Amino acid sequence: MDVSQYLEIFIDETSEHLQSLSDCIMSLEKEPDNKDTINEVFRAAHSLKGMAGTMGFKRMQHLTHDMEDVFQEVRSDKIVVNSKMIDILFKCLDALDKYLETIKETSDEGTEDNQAIIKELNDFIAQSEGQEVSTEKPSVSSEPETGAEKKFLKIDLTNEEKEAIRNTKDDENHIYGFTVYIHPECLLKAARAFLVFQAVEDFGEVVVYRPNPHDIEDEKFELDFSFFLIASEQLDKIIPAVKAVSEITSVLAEEIQPERFEQKEEKEEKEEQPKQETTESAVTPQAELQQKAQPAAVKKTAKKPVTSRTVRVDIEKLDALMNQVSELIIAKNGLASISMTEGGNFENQAFHEQIEYLERITTNLHESVMQVRMVPIESVVNKYPRMIRDLSRKLDKKMELFMSGEDTELDRTVVDQIGDPLQHLLRNSADHGLESAEVRKERGKPETGAIYLNAFQEGNNVIIEVSDDGNGIDTEKVKEKAIQRGVITPEQAEIMDQKEIVNLLFMPSFSMAKKITDISGRGVGLDVVRSNIEALGGDVEVSSRLGAGSKFTVRLPLTLAIIQVLMVEIRNEKYAVALGSIQNIEDIPVNEIRYVEAKEVIHLRGLVIPIIRMDKILDIEPLEEEPENLTVVIVKKGDKYAGLVVDSLIGQQEIVIKSLGKFIRNNKVISGATILGDGEVALILDVNALI
Amino acid sequence: MENEVLVSEKDTKQYIVVKIGSEQYGFDINYIDNIVRMQRITRVPKAQRYFKGIINLRGEIVAVMSIRLKMELEDDEFSDASRIIILKIQDLGTVGIIVDEVKEIVELGTDDIERQSKQDKNDKNTFISGIGKHGDELISLFDIYAVVDESENI
Repeated sequence: MDVSQYLEIFIDETSEHLQSLSDCIMSLEKEPDNKDTINEVFRAAHSLKGMAGTMGFKRMQHLTHDMEDVFQEVRSDKIVVNSKMIDILFKCLDALDKYLETIKETSDEGTEDNQAIIKELNDFIAQSEGQEVSTEKPSVSSEPETGAEKKFLKIDLTNEEKEAIRNTKDDENHIYGFTVYIHPECLLKAARAFLVFQAVEDFGEVVVYRPNPHDIEDEKFELDFSFFLIASEQLDKIIPAVKAVSEITSVLAEEIQPERFEQKEEKEEKEEQPKQETTESAVTPQAELQQKAQPAAVKKTAKKPVTSRTVRVDIEKLDALMNQVSELIIAKNGLASISMTEGGNFENQAFHEQIEYLERITTNLHESVMQVRMVPIESVVNKYPRMIRDLSRKLDKKMELFMSGEDTELDRTVVDQIGDPLQHLLRNSADHGLESAEVRKERGKPETGAIYLNAFQEGNNVIIEVSDDGNGIDTEKVKEKAIQRGVITPEQAEIMDQKEIVNLLFMPSFSMAKKITDISGRGVGLDVVRSNIEALGGDVEVSSRLGAGSKFTVRLPLTLAIIQVLMVEIRNEKYAVALGSIQNIEDIPVNEIRYVEAKEVIHLRGLVIPIIRMDKILDIEPLEEEPENLTVVIVKKGDKYAGLVVDSLIGQQEIVIKSLGKFIRNNKVISGATILGDGEVALILDVNALI
Repeated sequence: MENEVLVSEKDTKQYIVVKIGSEQYGFDINYIDNIVRMQRITRVPKAQRYFKGIINLRGEIVAVMSIRLKMELEDDEFSDASRIIILKIQDLGTVGIIVDEVKEIVELGTDDIERQSKQDKNDKNTFISGIGKHGDELISLFDIYAVVDESENI
């Protein structure tokens, strides 16, 4: 048994508890009298303490213990929640986070004692109580539970165990029997038991286990376990070591005379009648034990189906699975293209049907794998309320974060990497977007600024909007600065529209903050946000109204590897357009093209849609003679449309996205390549970059 | 630089000798993953001029470069002898280089190589690390990292 095998569970559960603590403390700040929240906080802190103790992280345990004290005081109405207390608690959480980070990296909690924070906590309790330190410790340990019995006395030894005792025992050492009771609320009983064994093994050798070591390891015991230890030290030195393991309710132990076994044995050998008695008396507790263990086992098996519904899988395994699915789809496409070229033959009917069947299966398979990789963005966004609270303090501005759509799901890889860009956008809103309370009052806005984070799915994309009701972006200032920095020339600035100017913010090293703060404006700015999001195959846009606020819209692809596309042909080149962004396909007579600001547009069902000549964009020789009708693929991005002029449509297909590699210069129009069924390579058009 | 490390371990190194125009060039065999026949190259719009496009190399997408255009020679004319040398470079990935013809593999010792100092930036010698002497033939040895370096050509 090794405690490290629990490390992963510990890390996962600890981050969950820390998150729930953070959430609770946030809501406690708003409603200091909510008993449910206080209880919840107390529970979370208690579990944290327990788990840290189990894993032997003493410093972490110490800190949570002191936090728990504070919550206990709150619970028993001895202290009132105030903002100072909340601040201290958040400091504690940060410290715990640091411990967890260190543990993640090194499997050890590090050496930071956080004495300062612990002192603050204790001072706080002392202060609010007027030195009257509570004697009633919330800790439940070391309180002997009634009904504890020396179960080790009733252990019926097997012959092998007797043999083992005889072999290990010599005149120097003693045999001690132990029964250890674990606290009923203990979360990792097996780990506790492990620590107990670790502690006693410093003194001697454990020779008998009840239940057997395997069951102890699998937590197949109720609240107690017993063992025999052979050691040379005195018992009163060993017991404190066992008691030092936290969440142990009581430790019962005494020295056992070896004659006991010998006697038993003799009895067994000689007298038939008493032997039955002894075995009976020995068996009964065991049966009792078994009976006790039995319900536990039953409970477990009854519970099992529920718990084993989720499986933790390494993301790399899922990546590997996804790659296999990709390969399968390429192979399927190859097969399909053969069936097309050799089609027309009626004998191939069955072959075609099988190909179609295969197509359905691969599509479903892909969807299933995709589903497995999807996780809600909650895990990323739920740390933001806390961040905004801290920012509010730091910037001395009143603000509140409103979130919606936390349950929106995205591919795991995307979720893992979207945290930083979103955080940056939120900080940006808090720092540059929102005005100070005085200015807000002057402008007739509520004193508390609002920041919104909304997430939702739109077709094959997930949209995350970060907006605020602050000052908005001053386009004149942006222009001025852009010219000053040589990003654009004054002539260029003249002809730029609002939107183009606002998007200048995403240019490298364009920090708009007039004063540099440590929140944002450290030189790395929105350009980093944009490149991070683009690396995920997404894009970001900003819209703003001066005085009313601004809105950043982040668009992310739902999937990274495989998409449904429409294959189109332009001259002899094949291109793929993501089906998710296609609105519809139109045949437009050339004479319906109108001109607005010297740009070609079409009028379609009340919409004016700019048309894009794909051959021009892609540097393809123009046709000598324009056809009478144009095939136009209408694509949509948010509320904007564009019509892509292509030569012909090939059809719908499922493709595997491949990167162009690091050599070919990052190309805005092309987002990747794919291998078609016949082995030919086609390029994927990035519609979002075209509009 | 990377050559020197290897040279110190071993006195001779193998080079694949190719023909580009009338001259002979050598690629350090350690960087070569494969040599394939000319195949259909898919053009990538807006890419660097000397990138002919991409090919499908057993299910992987590989960018193909015209070393002729990169060295500012005349554009390639594909023939039956044309080959794509597939280079695999750590941290950068795989890239294909079009050559007119692959001739042979030669072994060159340190003594057979005359180091070339980098001169003019736009000189085609920028891509050459040294001149190898094999019999009475001269082989210009490519500095692989200079050939695939993109930083100066954006």
